[in-house]
Amino acid sequence: MAEPLTINDEDFLKFREFFYRKTGILFEDSKRYFVDKRLLERMNATASENFRSYFTMLRFQTSGEELQTLINAMTVNETYFFREEYQFQCLVNSMLTEIIAHRKTEIPIRIWSVPSSSGEEPYGIAIYLLEYWPQLRNWDIEIISSDIDTSILNRARHGRYSARAVQYMPTILLNKYFHRDGEYFQINQELRDAVEFTRINVTDAAEMRTHRNFDVIFCRNLLIYFDDLSRKQTAESFYDALNPGGFICLGHSESMSRISALFRVRKFPEAIVYQKPWGMK
Amino acid sequence: MTLAVVNVSPIANKKFHSLLIKTKSEIEMALTKAASQPTTIEDERQRIRDQAGLLIALADSNPLVRRWAARDLLTYSNVSAALVERLLIETEPSVIEVILTTLTRIGDECAIEGLIRCLRTENAMLRNAAIEAMKLLPDEIAPFISHLLNDPDPDVRIFTVDVLESLRHPQVESWLIRVITEDAHLNVCGAAVDLLGEVGSECARPALLALKQRFPEEPYIQFAADLALTRIAAG
Amino acid sequence: MKRILIIDDAATVRLYHRGILENAGFTVVEAVNGLEALEHVANTVFDLYLVDINMPKLDGYGFLRELRSKDIPQAPAIMVSTEAAVNDQKLAYASGANLYLIKPVRPQRLLSHVLTLLGLTLPNPDHSL
Ligand SMILES: C[S@@+](CC[C@H](N)C(=O)[O-])C[C@H]1O[C@@H](n2cnc3c(N)ncnc32)[C@H](O)[C@@H]1O
Repeated sequence: MAEPLTINDEDFLKFREFFYRKTGILFEDSKRYFVDKRLLERMNATASENFRSYFTMLRFQTSGEELQTLINAMTVNETYFFREEYQFQCLVNSMLTEIIAHRKTEIPIRIWSVPSSSGEEPYGIAIYLLEYWPQLRNWDIEIISSDIDTSILNRARHGRYSARAVQYMPTILLNKYFHRDGEYFQINQELRDAVEFTRINVTDAAEMRTHRNFDVIFCRNLLIYFDDLSRKQTAESFYDALNPGGFICLGHSESMSRISALFRVRKFPEAIVYQKPWGMK
Repeated sequence: MTLAVVNVSPIANKKFHSLLIKTKSEIEMALTKAASQPTTIEDERQRIRDQAGLLIALADSNPLVRRWAARDLLTYSNVSAALVERLLIETEPSVIEVILTTLTRIGDECAIEGLIRCLRTENAMLRNAAIEAMKLLPDEIAPFISHLLNDPDPDVRIFTVDVLESLRHPQVESWLIRVITEDAHLNVCGAAVDLLGEVGSECARPALLALKQRFPEEPYIQFAADLALTRIAAG
Repeated sequence: MKRILIIDDAATVRLYHRGILENAGFTVVEAVNGLEALEHVANTVFDLYLVDINMPKLDGYGFLRELRSKDIPQAPAIMVSTEAAVNDQKLAYASGANLYLIKPVRPQRLLSHVLTLLGLTLPNPDHSL
């Protein structure tokens, strides 16, 4: 019988550094069990002899397929509809009002929800706009949503949710935008068409170049997985992805004040958000 | 006018479906529209994005172009010197931030020496940002610390002590003990004793007691040293 | 009760100033840099600011300039710094400081300036340090 697969301390450190370089995600020592478990699963699935051979494949495989599979396994995709709803209220009552007041042309307003995870956030934004933003009569809105995890993106495109994911969604909206499919809730086709999903690694400058001209970015519960430098780097890329006057919303436990000085704090009645100042290139 | 939630690829110029809503409750499929956003990106219009092109772009008059150049240079080698040169004359804070991020990622000797040069600049924003960058590079910065703690300029010594904060390096405590034992300057000692409260162990006790003797009339030193001693005693 | 915002990146310095001010009966809020201070300012009304100069993200000068450009009730600000140079002092006043003190600040001295700026008299003896 073959030796049982193991991961020693040195392997862990090597892997941690490599994964950090690839994704910006930094695993603390306390995450050791979480990391080992997933690594061993992938080593088994790929019939790797030991950590070394698996790690070599991870690094040098030209397709990058195994790396993507591993990334998919390592990400934490926890999310639900209408999470931190006060920010959506802030969007329809305050941020968009300011944006259209400054808008000189009729080009669409662009919203970026990143990371999307399984899609609850971008679909939630679309529903919020349809329900609570009367100005939608006069303005087009484009919603783009992205994640590094390709399997979660497929689920997002599909739009099928458990009862748990929709538990904070008012019944009336649930009936209006979903249909029941056994124990699942399927979001309707119109909303699926309203959100464009793309794969992105936010710590990769080249990939970030392809996502631009946004008026509002929702980046919630992503930066918590990064170290300080990756946070700063990501915030700087967001700055250039935003139009002047554009807003960025972070998760409730995240604050831009300890990440980057590029943005201004804006207090609205519903929430505190961050803004690329008007007139800034 | 009709209401529309439009769906478009972030990479523009792709046909896409849009959905039109006639009334608040009624949703129906609608036309296909062309992408609305400009496809050319300002900084790409002008230059080739190879290393030589990016180095030229680093001096462009548009800060957006400079930021993208500084960001994209990360993928090339031997670019620290050029980034440092730009950093020392750069006036736009957003570009300074991006250059520092790239230098921190590179972290080679030339980048470190560039960051250290920033300790002497009069530009407070640049100096403070460089100190922050150095804190993220414990192993790379460590060989320079002893030397910097002997700098004749007390400001440089204070900034160096600032760097030691959150520098996860095993030698931090012994550097701090040396400062509070040897440095004649009140505020350099003040900064060091500050940190000893966080990282100090039993080894720091004699030096802290001696410091209190050395500045008996300084309430701040007394306060900070007592605080450090209490924390050390509490383990 | 008067509310004071202490802005300093050094934890011990914040603690030292906090102790002095709380002993005299003030309510104290802390921020570790200028940006975090601006977040507090967006939420709370302060009667006085105690501002360090050298801090990451946004330094004391930058904080004061932002603060003074805001359309809110303005309160006095004391800048405290290790820098004794005349230029730093000039810059501090130009940025909107009401007073410039050189660190370390002795408790009685800090307190008497704070009281003067707030238009208060010395506290009761049982409130003293
Ligand atoms: C906890 S979810 C957050 C979802 C949603 N924004 C929310 O707040 O509910 C975190 C997501 O971040 C994604 N992620 C992690 N690292 C990433 C990176 N470097 N670039 C883009 N997405 C990333 C993960 O795949 C995961 O789906």
